[in-house]
Amino acid sequence: MLALDLIRPLCLVTLLILVPSIGLAQQGQPSIQQLLQEPFLDDYYSNVVYGYEIVTDTQNHASRYVGNSLNCSNCHLQAGTQQEALPLNVAGMYPKWRAKNGKRNGIGLRIRECFLYSLDGIMPPEDAPEVLAISAYISYLSQGQIMGAEPEGRGVPTLPDTGYDPNPATGRAVYLEQCASCHGAQGEGVAGMPPVWGLNSYNKGAGMHDIREAAGFIWANMPLGNGKSLTHQQALDVSAYLNLQIRPSDPRDSKFLKLLEHLIN
Amino acid sequence: MIRTYLREATPSFAWRNRLGNWRTEIFAGLVGAILVIPQGITFAYLAGLQPEYGLYCAIFVTLFCSVFGSSSMMSGPNTAVAILIGTAVLPLAGRGSPVYIDFVFLLCLMVGAIQLLFWLMRGARIFQYLSPAAISGISAGAGFLIIMASLDSILDLSTFKTTFFYEKIYVIVSDARDLVNPYSLFIGLCTIAGGYIGRRFSPRFFIIIAVTTGYLSGLLVAFVWPQPVTELEYLGRMPIEWLPLHLPNINMEYLMMSTLLIPYAITIAFIGLAQSLVIVRELKMETEQDINLDKEVYAQGLANLLAPFFSSFAGAGSFNRTKANQSLGATTPFSGIASAGFVLVLITFLGPILTYMPMAAMAGTLFIVGADMIKWRDIKHYAQVRAELVIYLATFISIMFFGLATGVVVAVFLSVSVFMLRISQLELSVEPIESGILLKVKGALFYASLAHLTEKFHSHVGKNLTVDLQFTTHIDQSAVDFFIRESRNMAAQGVRLTLLINEKQGYFLKKMGANSDIELVAV
Repeated sequence: MLALDLIRPLCLVTLLILVPSIGLAQQGQPSIQQLLQEPFLDDYYSNVVYGYEIVTDTQNHASRYVGNSLNCSNCHLQAGTQQEALPLNVAGMYPKWRAKNGKRNGIGLRIRECFLYSLDGIMPPEDAPEVLAISAYISYLSQGQIMGAEPEGRGVPTLPDTGYDPNPATGRAVYLEQCASCHGAQGEGVAGMPPVWGLNSYNKGAGMHDIREAAGFIWANMPLGNGKSLTHQQALDVSAYLNLQIRPSDPRDSKFLKLLEHLIN
Repeated sequence: MIRTYLREATPSFAWRNRLGNWRTEIFAGLVGAILVIPQGITFAYLAGLQPEYGLYCAIFVTLFCSVFGSSSMMSGPNTAVAILIGTAVLPLAGRGSPVYIDFVFLLCLMVGAIQLLFWLMRGARIFQYLSPAAISGISAGAGFLIIMASLDSILDLSTFKTTFFYEKIYVIVSDARDLVNPYSLFIGLCTIAGGYIGRRFSPRFFIIIAVTTGYLSGLLVAFVWPQPVTELEYLGRMPIEWLPLHLPNINMEYLMMSTLLIPYAITIAFIGLAQSLVIVRELKMETEQDINLDKEVYAQGLANLLAPFFSSFAGAGSFNRTKANQSLGATTPFSGIASAGFVLVLITFLGPILTYMPMAAMAGTLFIVGADMIKWRDIKHYAQVRAELVIYLATFISIMFFGLATGVVVAVFLSVSVFMLRISQLELSVEPIESGILLKVKGALFYASLAHLTEKFHSHVGKNLTVDLQFTTHIDQSAVDFFIRESRNMAAQGVRLTLLINEKQGYFLKKMGANSDIELVAV
């Protein structure tokens, strides 16, 4: 009984301390909308806003290194704040080793590779203002995350094994029924929606060119605003269909070796 | 007075009458435009900005300077100005970030305003005191800084920062295998080799040959090895607008921080005008253009003041483009206006090609530009006079160790002090005459030169002195006080001081209170 009597005031005190501190933590960081209205920003927040502008409108704010007509926010939905749609609050996960390039990757290299593969452009230099601004924006979004721990809803969901191989033919039917109204029958993208194949889309080195990755993204988020309405198998089929289409070549391939192969064959 | 200012402040277009051969002018403008494109891009890199800002500088600063000026000088992106912008703003914000760009524009506004202030105070004449040795020293020092900056991109050391150049060289040499990117080095070396071989065939366009060689070797490297392997830096697509209007961002916070920029603004204004005026003065001597130095100061100041409104940073006169312009036979500001137009057109069409320009090729051209600024001929030339050599070397070394801004201050200080030392030396000759001793004084008699005269006076105590002041250029109050004091001493010893003077000096001496102890003899 005595213990219970003690616990109750203790809980109250803890609550009294915790509640305002949670409130403070939320107040600690101004929202992007507040930042956009601010007339003067310091170096960090101006970079955050610049990073936000790049992510939402890559074509106009970072056109220097972009080779196709995509924006970052085409995959990182809601400017990288939506869970299960490749959210950008991942600063605490880096640096980490990645199999893709066999190196210890800092957040900078990760961003630069996004320009090279998903945006089919040029890898910016390490100290490019665009890269620094996106890093600032990512660390702004990552405030409050635990270092080294996976944030909730990171990346895209991994689909369970359906027991069937993905079938591009059924994928084509699903695509024409569900996706073609926005992305076009030829995958060219209509009315501001991103092209999903063709020379204006991501190249063969991009993460989206992986069937499972793309299927997870499609299942969780597509059709836009009506995510998780497709079955797992439908998402895999559409993903396989996209994977077969024409798109820019993998920038990791040497054009010289390709030519040699072509000549020898 | 106000009418003079107004006449200088409005574009005169008096050169229209001399515009006999407009085809020559337009061709010279085209050549200037081709030359300025690599310069604009690389100097923007030196200033820590995106390349398009350098091209805007090549368009708008050139345009305004030619419209408001009176000479065929080509203004535009300038090495020393670009380096100084970089050193001034880098401590305040990250390279190329939005705040950085705001501060650069603020700095350029300040530079333009200071240069206009120079114009209002008729400051063109101050720059005559900067000795040619100092200007060559500054140029050589800037060349050294450019070579060091170009190494960053040639060896691909983008995140590698050191304070002193020897530190950088030491780290590069001791850690070459890990630090140096061989692909980047290959392209850089190709560019430099292309430049030096190309110079034998075409001394005027060798920079273009160098850039082309670098670009082609870059294509070759990219053909064999993909970018994830080479990790080469490319220029990227430049978002060029035809009219990049931009309102500089000015608010209280910026203005409070901008006090840190004021010393740099003064240095940039000074060094920019000094270079422009050296060029203009040379043009005035060598050609028959009707050049007004004050109008050129105004044009440069106004161009720099307007530059931030067109997304461009400050510039100054360019030696090599003006020389090319002159050798092609351009004699009016029209070539500058044509050059600005051609840059705009060329960039619009070249833009897609330039996307895959490796930064190492650009840095290779920077290396050549920097190496050209350190002239062995200059060192030999100034080695003949000790004072000049001291100014040259001291300027060069202080730029090497302490940066361009300090170097400029050292150069100004040294050239003024050498000038003062020279001017404070009196030429004295002593002749015995019947009444005592005749002392002939040549030079300016003022507080700094009195010590010399005092010695002579004290070595002839107790004799009648006659001082011949006819060849003295200037007498100041302390000299008059000196004569009065000495004459009183001499009167106490029973001897007299006689001054041989002209009418103007006599009037001045009487006004300053020369009394009956001095015998004034008008000649």
